[in-house]
Amino acid sequence: MTPAGQFAIRFLPYLAFCVAILLVPQFIDDAFLLNKYARYLVFAILAVALCLSWGYAGILNLGQATTFGIGSYCMAMSLKLGTVPVHTGSEGLPDFMVWNNVTELPWFWAPFHSTTFAIIAGVLVPALFAALLGWFMFRGRVTGVYAAIITLATMVVVNLLIIDQQRYTGGFNGITDLAQFEAAGFTFDAYSASTYYLVAGCLCLTLFVSYAITRSKTGLILQAIRDQEDRVRFFGYDVALYKVFVFAVSAGIAGVAGMLYTIVMEFASPTFLGVPLSLSVVIWVAVGGRQSLLGAVFGALIVTGTQGALSESETFLESWTLIMGALFVLVVLFLPKGLAGACELLVQRFRSAAADGKASEPRTPVATQPESAS
Amino acid sequence: MDLVISQLLTGLSIASILMLVALGLAIIYGVTGVINLAHGEFVMLGAYCAWFLQSQFGLGLIASLIPIFLILALFGWVIETLVIRHLYNRPLDTILATWGIGVMAQQLIRLTAGGELRYVEMPAALSRSVSVFGASESAYRLFILALALALFAVTWYLYRYTSFGLKLRAVTQNRDIASSFGVNSGRIYRATFAYGAGIAGLAGALVSPLKSVSPEMGTTYVVDAFMVVVLGGAQSLFGTVASSGILGELSAFLAFHSNDTIAKAVVLLAIVVLIRFRPQGLFSTRVRA
Amino acid sequence: MTNSQNLLELENATVAFGGFLAVSGLDFCVTKGELRCLIGPNGAGKTTALDLICGKTPISSGMIRFEGRPIDHLKEYQISRIGIGRKFQVPSVFRELTVRENLRIGNSRDPGVFGNLWRFGGKTEEPERLAELVGLQDELETAAAHLSHGQTQWLEIALILAQDPALILMDEPTAGMTGQETRKTADLFNRLRGQHTLMVVEHDMGFVRDIAETISVMHQGKLLAEGTLEEISADEAVREAYLGSGGIGHA
Repeated sequence: MTPAGQFAIRFLPYLAFCVAILLVPQFIDDAFLLNKYARYLVFAILAVALCLSWGYAGILNLGQATTFGIGSYCMAMSLKLGTVPVHTGSEGLPDFMVWNNVTELPWFWAPFHSTTFAIIAGVLVPALFAALLGWFMFRGRVTGVYAAIITLATMVVVNLLIIDQQRYTGGFNGITDLAQFEAAGFTFDAYSASTYYLVAGCLCLTLFVSYAITRSKTGLILQAIRDQEDRVRFFGYDVALYKVFVFAVSAGIAGVAGMLYTIVMEFASPTFLGVPLSLSVVIWVAVGGRQSLLGAVFGALIVTGTQGALSESETFLESWTLIMGALFVLVVLFLPKGLAGACELLVQRFRSAAADGKASEPRTPVATQPESAS
Repeated sequence: MDLVISQLLTGLSIASILMLVALGLAIIYGVTGVINLAHGEFVMLGAYCAWFLQSQFGLGLIASLIPIFLILALFGWVIETLVIRHLYNRPLDTILATWGIGVMAQQLIRLTAGGELRYVEMPAALSRSVSVFGASESAYRLFILALALALFAVTWYLYRYTSFGLKLRAVTQNRDIASSFGVNSGRIYRATFAYGAGIAGLAGALVSPLKSVSPEMGTTYVVDAFMVVVLGGAQSLFGTVASSGILGELSAFLAFHSNDTIAKAVVLLAIVVLIRFRPQGLFSTRVRA
Repeated sequence: MTNSQNLLELENATVAFGGFLAVSGLDFCVTKGELRCLIGPNGAGKTTALDLICGKTPISSGMIRFEGRPIDHLKEYQISRIGIGRKFQVPSVFRELTVRENLRIGNSRDPGVFGNLWRFGGKTEEPERLAELVGLQDELETAAAHLSHGQTQWLEIALILAQDPALILMDEPTAGMTGQETRKTADLFNRLRGQHTLMVVEHDMGFVRDIAETISVMHQGKLLAEGTLEEISADEAVREAYLGSGGIGHA
C-alpha cells in the first residue's frame, strides 16, 4: 500500500467521527439531551489528554483531574464575575466571598473580568503547572509507578488547598450560580445546540492537534521514550524535555476540557479535582485503548454513556460501579490495548485471511537473509 | 511535663496504628514490587469482618482476630491467583488493577452491608484508662501498641530465621536466579501477598473500635501506609517501624499545632519531595531493580 | 598527552562502585578514523569504560576529552549530540516500533522537541539505504519485537549509523550471532572503516582477528597492553591475564 493510502486509512475514521458528532444536533432537538451529550464529549477531550501522556509517552497521570479542575475554576471565576449585578452583595463581590467576610476582590480574581484572559489562563495555568511538576519529576528521572504516585499526591494537595481556602474558592461548595459564557458576540446557553457545537468543535480540534503530534517525529520519539527511555537519551534527545512537553500539552488540553465542563455544568466544584474523576479518566482510556486517540474517545463515550443511561434507575447505578471496577480489572488483565487494540487485531486477522495464499509468512527467516549485506 | 508525655503517647498510638496498616503494604511491596492500591480496602474489609462477627455471632474483638487474619489472608490469596500473578512484569498495570479491585471491594460492601457508619465495641477489659508516667492513656491503645510490636517481631522472625524467610529473601534479591535454584517463587509471592493481606485485615479489626467503620475508610489508610513505606524504604522492615514512629509523632505534633488540612497537605508535599530525591526511602541503601 | 590527532582521550579515568574500582587509572587514546578493539577477561572493566565515555556512569576521578574538550561533566544526551554513539551489549531497540520508525529515531541530527513537531517523514530515502546496508530492507514495516536476535543487533548498528556519530562505541556487536551472521557483521565493519571512528568491545577473537588494526587489552580496570594482534598474542602479561579463561585465541 502507498504511504498516502495508509495515511487515508488511518485518518478516515477520525474524519468520519468528527463529521458524525457535528451532525448530531441536526437530528436531536432535546436541549437536555444535547447538554448530556456535550458533557460526554467534554469527557472525551479529557480522555484524549490522558491518552497523549499515558498512551504515547508512558506517563501514567493519576492526577489528570488536577489540570481539568484548574481549567474549570478559571472559567468559573470569569463567569462568576459576569453575574455581578445579580448574585453579589455590595461592590460586585461574589456571594460566597461576602458570606466569608471578604471585603475586597482578591488580586488574582481581578483579571478574570476579561473573558479572553480567562480562556488563556484556562489553558496556560494548567500547562504551566504541569510543566513545573513535570520538570521537577522528569529532571530527577522519576518514572513509572513513582511518577504516578506523585501526580496522585499532588492532586490531593491541590484539592485540599482549594477546600481549605474557602474565602477565595468557595470551599466545598465550589463556585455556583454562574453567568452564561459569552464570546465573539455569541451567548452559549448550556442547554442549547450552541454549547454542544462549541464542545464538539473543541473535541475535533483537540483530536486533530493531538493526531498531528502523535504522527510527527516528536510523537515517534515519545513512543520510543515509552518503550525504552534510557536508550533514547543516547541518541541525543533530551528525554526530560520531551516528557515535560507532552505533559504540559496534555494538561493544556485537560484545561480546555475543564473550561468547557464549567460552561456545560454551570458550576465548578472541588470534586472536579477528585480522585474518583481521575480514576474514571484512567478507566475510559484503558477500556478504549491507551494507544489510540480515537479509542480513548470511544472509551470515554461508551463508559460515561452507559453510566448515564443506567443512572435512570437507582439500583442499577449502585451495581454499576461494581461492574465498572470488574470491567476495568478485566481490561487491564486481558486487553492491555483496550477496545482499539482488539479492533486492530481483528482487522489484522481479516487482512491476513484475505491475503492468504499470496504471501504466507511476512517475515523472512534469518538464514535466508538476502546476500546484499555481504 | 504531663503534656509532653501525653503528646508523646498520642504520637506513639498513631504510630502503632500506622505501623499495623503499613506493615502489610511494606511486605507486599518489598517482596513482589507490587504497589497494592487496594490495601486500604483490605483494612476496611478487616474492620467489616470484626463488625460482622460481633453483630452476627457476638464474637468479641480479641476472639475474632485469628479468624479475621485467616479470612483476609484467603482473600489476598485469591486476589493474587486471579489477578496480580499475571501482572508482575507490568508494574504500572498492577497499580491500575489493584485500584480497580479496591473500587470493587468498596462497592461490594456498600451493596451488602450498606453505606452507613458501623461501630465495633472495644473489649470490655481494655476500655479503661491506665496511667503512664502521670499521663493517662487508654488501655486499648496500649494493647494495640503491644500487638503491633508483637506482629513486627513475628514478621521479623519469619523473615530472618525460617527457611521460608530465606527463600523469600532470595526471591526478593533476584527472582529468576532463585527460581532456577528450585525456589517456587510463584508460591512465595502468593504466600507473601496473603500474609500482607491478613495483616491488613488485623489492622482494620484493631482500629475498628477507635474509628467509625465505613466503606470509604480505606482510602485514608492507603495514603498513610504508603507514606510510611516511602519514608521507610521498601527493603527494610526496621525502616517501616522507624518511619511509623516518625510520622506518628509528627502528625500528633502537627495536629496539635496547626490546622488539620494544612498538616495533611504539608505531609503529602514532603512525600512528593522525598520520592523525587530519595525514592529508596530514608532507611534503605538500595532499591529493587 | 594532548594530541590533535586524538579523537578521544581518557586520562587517569577511575570509577569506584562502593569500594570496588571497576576502572582504575585508565589512560587510553583513540585517533580519528581508526578501528580499535578493546578486549580483556570478564570483569576487566571494558563495558564500564564505554559507560564512562557515553555518560551512563559518572566518572569518580580523572578526565575524558573528546576532540580536545572535556566531556565528563556532560549529560548523556549532550555527549551524544557532540558525536558519540553507543551500541549496547544487550541489543536495545524500540520493540514496539517498526524498523523504519526505529531508523527515523536513530537519525537525530535535530533533536529538538519543537522542530520535530513539524517533521512527518515519508520523503527521505535514508531508512531504505540503511536497512539495505544491514540486510533489513524487507523488514522496514516489521515491528522490531518480531526480529530475530541477529537482526535486532543489526538494527541497532543501523540506528547508530543513522545517528552518524564521529565516534561509535560498540559493546559486543556479535553477541548471540551465528557464525554466518558474525562474518557478515565483520564485512559490515570493514566497510565502515575510515568513515567512522570505531571502538569495539568484543569477546569473539575470530571476529577481532577479522577486523582489528590496533587492539587494547584491559585487565582489572587498567590498560594492560596495546598493539597489533601479533604483539598482543606474544605479550607475556596478556597471556597471564587470560590464563584460566581459555587463552587468547579460543574465546
